[in-house]
Amino acid sequence: MTAIAIDHDKPDLTGDTETQNDIFLQVFNSGDGALFDRLYRDDAISNFSGEPLTGEARRKFFVEFIGAKPVLEARVTHSYVAGDVALIGVDFSVKGTGPDGQPFTIEGKCTDVLRRVEDGRWLMAVDRPVAAGGLLPE
Amino acid sequence: MTSRLEEFELTGDATRQTELYVRAFNSGNVEWVHSLYTEDAVAVWEPGKPLTGEAHRRNVEEAIARGASMQAKTRHAFVTGDTALLIVDWTMDATNEEGVVEHLSGVGVDVLRLGEDGKWRYAIDDPYGEEK
Repeated sequence: MTAIAIDHDKPDLTGDTETQNDIFLQVFNSGDGALFDRLYRDDAISNFSGEPLTGEARRKFFVEFIGAKPVLEARVTHSYVAGDVALIGVDFSVKGTGPDGQPFTIEGKCTDVLRRVEDGRWLMAVDRPVAAGGLLPE
Repeated sequence: MTSRLEEFELTGDATRQTELYVRAFNSGNVEWVHSLYTEDAVAVWEPGKPLTGEAHRRNVEEAIARGASMQAKTRHAFVTGDTALLIVDWTMDATNEEGVVEHLSGVGVDVLRLGEDGKWRYAIDDPYGEEK
């Protein structure tokens, strides 16, 4: 996959589902958690950590978790767009090494809600990964 | 007229949307159900077949004409300033074309959008959005 040019101050997931997934993967796998967090609106809720985080708590989690360079793979299974709201579903896996030095793999399905914001960019509003073996309580 | 017209109001509390939907649906009032959706809402009552506008409205009318009734409960609500994701457990009894009552159920993924009037509406209604 050719790298997509991304505005680091004002990243845009775009209105195109496959491009959204490509940018999400590229930024996650770059290890830059602060940039990944800017793919989310300020008040967005991420459940990636296993609990709903927003604002500074979410940013801190991403900086630490993604900074350890886990590898994310994801494939889009469905997407629906209703005006300035989009829902996409992906099958995903994250492989990495935990703080204890042990390798881990998380596999599951993730539901993402995106919004088109005032300046026309598309950003994350809510994510909800559900993993076999329990990243999140069902 | 002495009877009071029953009122139906949209809510500014996203966590109440599911109970409003159940009330509207079970009342048999198609207009009430329709008022709960945004103008460009997408409903995926048949997996893989998103419908909007008139096509979705006809689905609602048909279900109600067959006397379908439903129960639903919000399992998770993730509410941001103007966008919410609800995970909903629902069941529905509906009479099919052969006159047999079918029992349907699923885990719905609902995306709500706050309107300029401060009321929440469904932007995306995906009743089979998560595996049971």
